[in-house]
Amino acid sequence: MDGLISFFASHYAIRAEMVLTRHGLASRLVPGPKDLSPNCGVALRFEYAQRESVLGILAAKKVQIDSVHFYRPQTDRWSGREG
Amino acid sequence: MVYFDNAATSWPKPEAVGVATSDYFRESGGNPGRSGHRMSVAAARIVEHAREAVAGLFHASDPSRIVFTHNATHALNLALMGLLHPGDHVVTSSIEHNSVMRPLRYLETLGIEVTVVPCTPEGILDPKDVRNAMRPRTRLLVTTHASNVAGTLIPVAALAVLARDHDIRYLVDASQTVGAIPIDVEELGIDLLAFTGHKGLLGPTGTGGLYIREGVTLTPLIRGGTGSDSANEIQPEFLPDACESGTLNAAGIAGLGAAAHFLSQIGVDAVRAHERKLVEQFQSGASEISGIRLYGPTDAALQCGLVSFNVAGAISSEIGLILDESFGIMARTGLHCAPAAHRTLGTFPTGTVRFSFGWFNTSAEVETSLEALRQISVWASNSIGRSARGNL
Repeated sequence: MDGLISFFASHYAIRAEMVLTRHGLASRLVPGPKDLSPNCGVALRFEYAQRESVLGILAAKKVQIDSVHFYRPQTDRWSGREG
Repeated sequence: MVYFDNAATSWPKPEAVGVATSDYFRESGGNPGRSGHRMSVAAARIVEHAREAVAGLFHASDPSRIVFTHNATHALNLALMGLLHPGDHVVTSSIEHNSVMRPLRYLETLGIEVTVVPCTPEGILDPKDVRNAMRPRTRLLVTTHASNVAGTLIPVAALAVLARDHDIRYLVDASQTVGAIPIDVEELGIDLLAFTGHKGLLGPTGTGGLYIREGVTLTPLIRGGTGSDSANEIQPEFLPDACESGTLNAAGIAGLGAAAHFLSQIGVDAVRAHERKLVEQFQSGASEISGIRLYGPTDAALQCGLVSFNVAGAISSEIGLILDESFGIMARTGLHCAPAAHRTLGTFPTGTVRFSFGWFNTSAEVETSLEALRQISVWASNSIGRSARGNL
């Protein structure tokens, strides 16, 4: 996943995951990257290509968001067996 | 054993409530919304599913407008303290519980004016009397949805219109009704609705909340950590975090979510119909027992699922003791934390016996209680004049 949404509160991050799942859109909750936003402990990764439908659904369900990013975190390069 | 004290706290709870609470401890276990790891996220999911399920029961379309509290009293204090300022005027009714009356009497000492509109001895509140109590500085109307003593339903729909016409806020204390009487906060235009999780909602004690309509802003009752906006030393202003400082009762809320799900499967309409039938059965049977005096509207359509009564020749606490010890019937006697309501009913200070029914009560249990009251009324009529107190 190459998109990430940060939120002001984890309440909205969880709500976002709930409503996107109901609409068949893939997403994944992750610890909020501190380099992007200090606001909330939880952020949501999603497919950036689905940006329009994702943001449309969140707005319709009154899920407030902080900001939207194109984002590939460093952990994507973590093989799990390094060192 | 017959449990008729559901207005104090409902019992039994749906099996799923205990399971969900236990699962939280054994499996989810994290602090909801504080960390990004799977246990914290799992706990946060439980909380948000519960919030959504509860919101659905009174038709609040945006769950973010529900803040969880420890109980309805906490929610009512949050609403009253968060909305009223010195110089404001607030209107309420004469059948309120102390969870409304005590905060209001405290606010009076801070310079907030309180008008208590009298209800009839049946606990009926006339919206016209409420309208006549309005003043230019009136900021809030607060009423219960149903009396916890007489069961009398308050005309919340008419009062919501009245509040809107006067451009004031309307706070409903729905402690006795959420989960048991259908209510649609958005259709009615109710500004604030306080609820408890452990009565009609069938959830654990230590849960409750406040619905806050979009556009209504409250000053928080307490401030602190929310897991959000952590770089900022100023309390966030967005809901639910603004009014949810400190770690939530996640285990309790897990149970509450399961209870709300259970109720949404049954339907609040079905709960209402069931409790109404039990009230009708009780009223019909009790009216044929000499010496029993029923309080309230004595019309099941005009009250929630509880009845209040006395037996001539005995005081309420004695009747309660006999019901418990000789018949295994659990009732609540006395003043029910609502002295104003008992003054309205004319039952202050001795109080009444209250039977409050729930989804799990049966017609057979009501019949058992009627038979017990037949025996108690005979005993009480024989003991009139022989009381050691000499005043009965």
